[in-house]
Amino acid sequence: MHKCDLDVEISKLSKIEGHADLDIKIRDGKLEEVNLKVMENVRFFNQAVIGMAATAVPQLVSRICGTCSIAHLTACIEAVEKTLDVKPGAQTILLRKLTVYSMMIRDHALHLYFFVLPDMLDIDSLLDVPEDKHNLIHEALAVKEAGNNLGELVAGRSVHAPFEQVGGFSHEIDTARVLKIISELKNIRPIVLKLIEIFANCDWKFERNTNFVALVTEDFSFLEGKIKSLSLPANATQQALQAGGFEIEEEDYWDHLHKVVLPYSQATSFDFEGKEYMVGSLARLNLNKENLHPRTLRDAAKYLGRFPSQNIYDNNLAQAIEILHSIDHSIEILENNKFAKEEPVKPEKLSGENAGAIDAPRGTLYYALKIADGKVEELKLVIPTAQNLVSMKKDVEQIVSGICATGIGKVELEKNIVREVSKLIRAYDPCMSCASHFLRIKWV
Amino acid sequence: MTDKSGKKRVGIFSLTCDEGCSIFLTEIFNQKLIGWLEKMELVYFLAVKDHVEAGNLDIALVEGVVTSEKDSEQIKKIRERSKILIAMGSCAVTSQPSGQRNNFNADQLKVIEEHFEKYKFLPKALALKDVVKVDDEIIGCPIDEVKFVEIFEKYL
Repeated sequence: MHKCDLDVEISKLSKIEGHADLDIKIRDGKLEEVNLKVMENVRFFNQAVIGMAATAVPQLVSRICGTCSIAHLTACIEAVEKTLDVKPGAQTILLRKLTVYSMMIRDHALHLYFFVLPDMLDIDSLLDVPEDKHNLIHEALAVKEAGNNLGELVAGRSVHAPFEQVGGFSHEIDTARVLKIISELKNIRPIVLKLIEIFANCDWKFERNTNFVALVTEDFSFLEGKIKSLSLPANATQQALQAGGFEIEEEDYWDHLHKVVLPYSQATSFDFEGKEYMVGSLARLNLNKENLHPRTLRDAAKYLGRFPSQNIYDNNLAQAIEILHSIDHSIEILENNKFAKEEPVKPEKLSGENAGAIDAPRGTLYYALKIADGKVEELKLVIPTAQNLVSMKKDVEQIVSGICATGIGKVELEKNIVREVSKLIRAYDPCMSCASHFLRIKWV
Repeated sequence: MTDKSGKKRVGIFSLTCDEGCSIFLTEIFNQKLIGWLEKMELVYFLAVKDHVEAGNLDIALVEGVVTSEKDSEQIKKIRERSKILIAMGSCAVTSQPSGQRNNFNADQLKVIEEHFEKYKFLPKALALKDVVKVDDEIIGCPIDEVKFVEIFEKYL
């Protein structure tokens, strides 16, 4: 056994959203310290919204994150509506589901094809795939494009969507384009089934006992439901797993969280009921797979038995399955509804305090607002990646300790650590732009 | 500076922002990437590559504001190493919305001032042209697709 000292510094982890560094300190062959440092510069959204008209705030907070801007927009709209008693109509809810599905398709596809597949193929970038696998580039672009076009149809654009607003949508759907969008979604369906198979056959495994938390919705639409948590102890039986866990209302989420400060980082994390936890696709599949679309349940049946899973790499498979669900439910909504022009619903009152949550691509996203005379007095939010940071750090510790215990030489040790740790962090699909946006929240 | 294959060396950089422009660029890529790859080599784009080199660039596309000393050093380095530097999106062109702290009142500034010192923030968040020479600009939050294609292809 080599008892070496080693400092591994990964500066600017690639193929994730935003900037993060990782420092790992090994002394005498043993892991001493892991520092996961979110390096995004804070942009002070919590302060910027104070005094702003509440109805204008969703478009501003959309700018917290380029990749999941639709999640911030939608969650903030929901919080404003709950606070000011706005009851959006049934058509608005359908359009919102389509908007969120368009984001899931694009965002998961970017992560799976461009961030994860290169690790599986042992190449640096998807653009470097060998000639015989070039179809993967075309397939990646086709899936993203279908999601992008769906978002554009419904919400005006896939990044900082201009049509989605408090009480409804400002523009109606161009019905002439609906058939084309449906056919694009149908065309990418077999490609996505292939993608699911790729990740189902991936043999990467890393398990650690952590907790999973997700917003559980009746039609797996990421929008309205209860927040559910399910502990997965290693020796639990299937029945115990199904019976276990507990549910809370969306607006009570904050009461179950505690802040965890991460030194050297422009971000803060959380624990849920005193335990670190994971949010995101894996948590959703672990807690709510039975509510996937019937066509998804049918065609992904042979892979669904794997959930609940504690293997962090199954987050990739879960994302691929969520793309399929988003396609299937979107096709159903587009084929069975006629969309007409509707005026956005107006607020019933101008002041109040309430919260809303949706499940964003990377997990539960919570917005709490205090509004007085139509202006925002306070904003609190809980970001998916920030919630995952503690679990992520503990996973890195376990994986590094495991690699150290193999007793390999220093050069190999460093190489293995960099490869395995980057791979693991990418499986979480972290978004550092989101994680770092807040500062000095008033904790109550 | 063009590499041996005759392709333009292109880098995509993110300073302080939500990275919405580079994400939207990956959506523009859906239709355009295959054609552009005949003419360009993507040498720096952390979002999709591990092994990046930021030297000898023909075209640098930069999003975000210059909010900290570190951002300022980085944009100067990018400028030194690039033939054409294009500011991409509202933050890079106008400093807003990522530079929203520039408009804060005294109460709002008081809450954030400790952070300024700790992370060496500049007194104001700056547009790229306030720090280095910028050859072209593409406005929009995120970038306007038609404008981007028009300006980018001019240099490709």
